[in-house]
Amino acid sequence: MRLKRISLAVAAGAAAALALASCSPGGNNTPSSSGSVSGSASDSAAQAAQIDGSGKLDLKDIQTQDGEIKVSVGSTEFGGYNTLTPATYDTYSSAISALYTTGFFYFGTDGKVIPNETLGTAEVVSDSPLQVKYTINPDAVWSDGTPITVADAVLAWGSQNASLLGSDGKTPVFNNVSGDLVALAPKGPEGDVNGKEFTLTYKEPNLDWKLQTLMAQPAHVVAKQAGMSVDDLVSALREQDATKLAKAGAFWSTGWNKGAGQLPADDLNVSSGPYILDSWQKGQSVSLVPNPKYWGPKAGVSKLTFRFVDSGAMVQALQNKDLDVMSPQPTLDTIKQLEALGSAVKIIKGDTMTWEHVDFNFAGTSVFKDDADLRKAFAMCIPREQIVEQLIKPLNPDAKVLNSRVSFPGDDLYDRVVQEAYPASTYDSVNLEESKKLVDASSAAKTNGKVTVRIGYNSPNPRRANEVQLIKASCDQAGFDVKDISSETFSAEGGPVTKNDYDAFLFAWAGSGQLTSDSNIYMTGQPQNFGKYSNAEVDKQLTITKTTMDLTKHGDALVATEKQLWDDMFGIPIFQHPGIDAAGADVTNVIHTQTQDGITWNAEQWQRVAE
Amino acid sequence: MLSFILRRLGISAIVLLLASVLVYFLTTISGDPLAGMREQANDPKVAAQMQARIVALDLDTPWFIRYLKWLGGAAGCVWGQCNLGTDVNGNAVLDQLGSAAASTLRLVLLSVVIACIVGILVGVLTAIRQYSDFDYIVTFIAFVLFSLPVFWVAVLLKEYAAINYNNWIANPSFTPAQVVLTAIILGLIVMLFMGGSWKRRVLSFGVVAVVVGVAMPYFTWLRFWQYPQMGPAVIAVVVLAVGAFALQTTVGFKERRVWLPALISAALVMVVYYASWNLLSEPNWWILILGLVLAIAVPWLLGAWLGGRYRPQAIGAAASVTLTGAFLTIVDHLFVTWPGFMALKPRPISTIGSNTPNFTGNFWETFLDNGTQLLLPTVVLAVVSIASYSRYTRAAMIDVQGQDYMRTARSKGLPERTVILRHAFRNALIPIVTIVAMDFAAVIGGAVITEQVFGWKGMGELFQTGLKNVDPAPVMAFVLVTGGVAVLFNLLSDVIYALIDPRIRV
Repeated sequence: MRLKRISLAVAAGAAAALALASCSPGGNNTPSSSGSVSGSASDSAAQAAQIDGSGKLDLKDIQTQDGEIKVSVGSTEFGGYNTLTPATYDTYSSAISALYTTGFFYFGTDGKVIPNETLGTAEVVSDSPLQVKYTINPDAVWSDGTPITVADAVLAWGSQNASLLGSDGKTPVFNNVSGDLVALAPKGPEGDVNGKEFTLTYKEPNLDWKLQTLMAQPAHVVAKQAGMSVDDLVSALREQDATKLAKAGAFWSTGWNKGAGQLPADDLNVSSGPYILDSWQKGQSVSLVPNPKYWGPKAGVSKLTFRFVDSGAMVQALQNKDLDVMSPQPTLDTIKQLEALGSAVKIIKGDTMTWEHVDFNFAGTSVFKDDADLRKAFAMCIPREQIVEQLIKPLNPDAKVLNSRVSFPGDDLYDRVVQEAYPASTYDSVNLEESKKLVDASSAAKTNGKVTVRIGYNSPNPRRANEVQLIKASCDQAGFDVKDISSETFSAEGGPVTKNDYDAFLFAWAGSGQLTSDSNIYMTGQPQNFGKYSNAEVDKQLTITKTTMDLTKHGDALVATEKQLWDDMFGIPIFQHPGIDAAGADVTNVIHTQTQDGITWNAEQWQRVAE
Repeated sequence: MLSFILRRLGISAIVLLLASVLVYFLTTISGDPLAGMREQANDPKVAAQMQARIVALDLDTPWFIRYLKWLGGAAGCVWGQCNLGTDVNGNAVLDQLGSAAASTLRLVLLSVVIACIVGILVGVLTAIRQYSDFDYIVTFIAFVLFSLPVFWVAVLLKEYAAINYNNWIANPSFTPAQVVLTAIILGLIVMLFMGGSWKRRVLSFGVVAVVVGVAMPYFTWLRFWQYPQMGPAVIAVVVLAVGAFALQTTVGFKERRVWLPALISAALVMVVYYASWNLLSEPNWWILILGLVLAIAVPWLLGAWLGGRYRPQAIGAAASVTLTGAFLTIVDHLFVTWPGFMALKPRPISTIGSNTPNFTGNFWETFLDNGTQLLLPTVVLAVVSIASYSRYTRAAMIDVQGQDYMRTARSKGLPERTVILRHAFRNALIPIVTIVAMDFAAVIGGAVITEQVFGWKGMGELFQTGLKNVDPAPVMAFVLVTGGVAVLFNLLSDVIYALIDPRIRV
């Protein structure tokens, strides 16, 4: 038996060897060349200049490369073709829609508003009333060949009316996330429907007129789906006739967005940008290909794919070339992993326009109510430099303490604010002595000689937990007793913020690039004035910022506002949130931006280069 | 039995109902559904978004009324009018649930099957060889795997099995040190596995080390890693070897009624291998399923026809031959496809996604793409389950082996194989069935982390996104499915008990 087993094993082994020996080396012996980059690479970011200093790259002779670039900005699913409905309006979906839509202006990397001359030009012809003349590029066409005309502008304008309600008297005809342009400029774009020139007249002065959406969806597609002619659609829009617009509005609101993974039909999937939607796999990815009819600079690559990837999985995906560009949550962990990859990746760091600050509560149960000296004392003991040094610099080595509420470093206004309004000597560094003096002098209720300060934020938020710890370590020495009262529902309806049942609130505003946005935060009775701050001088100055068309006056008013806010110690700015993005070493033209547009703001310019 | 099942169902329904109230309430208080928008700067658009979110989540209504509304919709599922509500973006949860459940099942099913087979096999082996070197080593490995955090295993696998493998496959080669080291390690593993006398150990170590040491450079010379090949000769040898093994472990080589069907099957495998080549070069799922049916039906008929009183053994031997042959034929087709697949996807194993976006290839190329994407998450899920199954099986087997009826069976003179498989294993399966059933329910819910790490959009993602958005509808859908599966499998394990253990049959 034993012998038989061994002989069997030998026989099996011999048979296997024979069978294997019948094999010969596979493939041809010359290793196939790995896919080389075809098409000429454009100027790299180092060579090409940004238009107007912070705009897109000036790549005049850019040619589309044959190849694919894969990017992820997060795991959130794409909303759908029309990203202007409230349900689909988010940064993730807008990153994609920005590539197949166009506008007269866009944000530069520093938040400056830059004209997009590919679509056309806009110039102010009169300040009072504010009148803007727009000229659309004669070559501008939709991807189905229809020229881009005034009709499209009328649709973009006429669909922004939240008070135009449908037959039920509740839901707007156009379920548009923006609903005020019709009220701001009641006459709408005036000009020949099929022409390329129109004028828009505003009722009130509006410094932010450049940010209005005047080019979005194709009017000819909406008209066709509503079963009416473009002329009829335009006149119905100009009349804002809810009955005539019912079908058009219904299509506008729901016709393009059929749910995850469902691209609109070819005749609805129309692009006015450098790319056009090509495929959408539910939960996985959206791909875009160059718009063949695009009249502007050519798209960078023949396929651009957005993948929906969790932040924590991005670094290894980049390393495995499953991704070429990634935009993760900025954490120290991610930075360390990226740095470990060495020269295979480019790490793109910088500030963002989201800024962290501590705001005081001026109402309810606040200990700071009616006690400016106590507020100043607390502001003096907040270790802003230490917070930036310990928590932010590891992510962005260039980070600095922020000293303005109405502008960012790099704005023309920032230096003026810091020089004229910011009391540098008082707040530049922690001043425990002065702080303690003010606390001792204060009449606020004390337990064991200490003033209890309840500071909160929306938890979980590890960074803010660390900030509060640093604040506590410092301010407790000045006679405060800092208590962390953060919770998941800190700012929710019915939470401490809405009940004004807190002393200080640690949070961040995401700056939008608007010039007139400060009034919503600092003016009396505004919904985002959480602490119920009220000051006549601030109200007056901020009213000026909303009603002037003069940038100098606007700046003066903001500086005056800041001065008052520092005097009253509304709250104290701490830092700009750091942004981290990364790209494979073989991808070029990937540039950091401070704005909410994120890393994909110039995605149509990305190309591959030899490593 | 029926009243027992009905009673169980009734109690389960009440438990599910209470769980749903609790989870709904906990979800609504888990955070601020508008938190993300509150810190957006004062864009009027954000106000419109907030309003839309308030309407979408019906936030102006107290939570228990929202819950009752949801319950009304969910109750409709009983008579086929399911309405599981909408998520924050106004998409119907039912649609999402369908694709999420499909995605998770694809992920979980394979790993549970693998984990069952490997885990139970290892458990039985360790129990038979209790306190051997093999047992100690498996115990050690099981505890290591058991205590590994899933996300960490996933990250390690991505690093080595994906990134490093992909770097290596671009230009595969081994240094002499790698060859020697691999040969020694594999030799040691097999040696410990085989056990036995010192002579036997040295022999098994030597044979394995030499074979591996020769095979690695040889396969590299063949460019096997990029151009894998097998060919009919290898298939013939393996199929015959499997047939021989099946005979040797059942009735021996002398019984014509058994070896004849096995041999005919082997011949058929080779005939089908050639005959089906063109068909299988561009098949579809129906053809493959038909092939599988034939690979079971034909040996069954052969065995039934020729087997006589050895019918079961004949069927078993013939079926093991045809199934091996079918499997190898598919592998051969995959081997042939591999170079073309590598050209389409130069880094074959990806770290994210359930497939490569915009991948276009023929059937086998798409099959390989899906397979390579499925590989890592399946391994992650299987590894942890294998560890626990092997431990439970080992404990159950050892417990059974101490029973009196085992001694009786041995003293009757039954062959050891029969004692282990019939008397010990079958009884040991009873507790394992419960664990596997419960584990399956847990794995469906527990794939949350694996899905997130590998970028799959399944049940876990549905749950997580729902919770993040303080959006009860998707969370409740998750609870409904995982809770339902748990109840169902609990019930199923009770029924299987009755099948395995005649004593429970009432």
